[in-house]
Amino acid sequence: MSATEELTGPGQPVLRLEEMILNMGPQHPSTHGVLRLVLHLDGEQVISVEPMLGYLHRGFEKIAENRTYLQYLAMISRLDYLSGFFMEWSYVRSVEALMGLRVPKRAEYIRVIIGELNRIISHHIAYGDFLMNLGASTPFVWAFRDREDVYDLLEMVTGQRMMYNYMRVGGVRWDLPDEFEASCRKFLKEFPPRIDEYEKLVTENEIFLSRTLGMGIIKPYEALDYGISGPNARASGVDWDLRREVGYSVYPEFDFEVPLGQHGDCFDRYKCRIEEMRESTKIIEQALDSLCGGPVNLKLPPMLRPPAGEIYRAVETPRGEYGVYLVSNGGLRPWRLKLRDPTFSAISMIPKLTAGNKIADLVAIAGSLDLIMGGVDR
Amino acid sequence: MTAEITKLTSQDALEHAREILGKFARDLTISDWHLVVECRPDDLPEVALRLRDDEKLSCKYLCCIIGVDFIDWMEALYLLRSQEHSVPVRVRVRLDREKPEVPSVTYIWSGANWHEREAYDFFGIKFLGHPDLKRILTREDYDTHPMKKDAWPHRVRRTEWRWEELERPRRLPGEPDRRERS
Repeated sequence: MSATEELTGPGQPVLRLEEMILNMGPQHPSTHGVLRLVLHLDGEQVISVEPMLGYLHRGFEKIAENRTYLQYLAMISRLDYLSGFFMEWSYVRSVEALMGLRVPKRAEYIRVIIGELNRIISHHIAYGDFLMNLGASTPFVWAFRDREDVYDLLEMVTGQRMMYNYMRVGGVRWDLPDEFEASCRKFLKEFPPRIDEYEKLVTENEIFLSRTLGMGIIKPYEALDYGISGPNARASGVDWDLRREVGYSVYPEFDFEVPLGQHGDCFDRYKCRIEEMRESTKIIEQALDSLCGGPVNLKLPPMLRPPAGEIYRAVETPRGEYGVYLVSNGGLRPWRLKLRDPTFSAISMIPKLTAGNKIADLVAIAGSLDLIMGGVDR
Repeated sequence: MTAEITKLTSQDALEHAREILGKFARDLTISDWHLVVECRPDDLPEVALRLRDDEKLSCKYLCCIIGVDFIDWMEALYLLRSQEHSVPVRVRVRLDREKPEVPSVTYIWSGANWHEREAYDFFGIKFLGHPDLKRILTREDYDTHPMKKDAWPHRVRRTEWRWEELERPRRLPGEPDRRERS
């Protein structure tokens, strides 16, 4: 009689006790794209997780070496497709810094306005998808309903809904349309009550609280150790926001708060994103008030030749620090372009966060980290 | 909210780094408001530990590890940052291109694990002592490190089709070949 038979008695079906290996993804709806998680399971308990990346690898860094600086600008918003504007911003910022350009003031305000609108729609997805992972479908539909209003604004300015291609080195592509300001102010008036609605629906819901409180805790020193940034780190109490610390663009002019969490669990990460949406509306309002006249881009030659050198510039995207490291040899094409994605670091922490939890909690934790695979796989 | 961060000037950071690193740093400069530390591959763990554990330059956060191929040599760059001040630190390690090897810093920053795997994947840099050094973004049986400048392009150029080399249409045994008959 084998050891496993002893548990159920002779002649009874054998109880299988060995660990089970299960592939979650790459097409699983709660992995947000094409992430494969290899789960080692003991019943429903997760023993260990191994994330497998690369299903969306398109060789962005290699392609950059064969494109001129402006050609590459067209494809960079495909990286993190929910916050494409920030991808363009980080790239453009590093090229501008390398060339030593001063961007016109009006262009900087426009960048801030569009960027913060983009942050709002990205957090909409984070909110809706996280709740969808937990099994609530109403918040998802509400988020998608309200996202449309922002999309209308962005379409009015850039002509696109997702892949904007609106940034240019030295400014933005064209000026804001005349009717933009009124529509944007209308949206800013309507939006904060809707955030209250979201919160009323979710934040104090008992099922939601029991699923998220104390789940997937990231300690502040762990967040730094794993290189986690953005709302994921701020939920743990790491007080770091590049908009404030580095103060790029015209952010130092604005008065806004950086929402912080205390415990670093799934609930705090959710709450941080909700508060950031409120702060974004404040920033947009101030930017609209101080919008000045003037040109929106610089006159530059069609072929950019930044001087030889290296540079690293980062922006605060909805997911954290997105950095572009650029090496130029003075030619038409970058010698090396490295894209530093915040989600890459966040995914590397999933094995640590989920070991010992149930599968359903793994889904909640992965959802609360707000993963987008487009930027990770590059 | 006002930043409660003691602003350290880059000159202070440079002098302090010179003090704590001593002979381990081959070169210390400031470029683009980053403090750039250049060191030999063997000294990297010592430099990394001192930068992390020092009270003033407490580089607790590893932003990313970047490989760069300069054809004559190869480089591994470590972008570090601290919570306490606003001078980012760049550690630059120059590697032999034929045999790029550098000690792993996974035990110093846990986040280095995947960044090192990525640098290995793209540039073939061997991180000695890494717990599980394997490819991360490209497929496992890929036979080159694609970001190296001399990487095989991995695309065989399609030659023009020549009709005579095409396989003849298949037919069952005994069935007459219709093309021959016509």
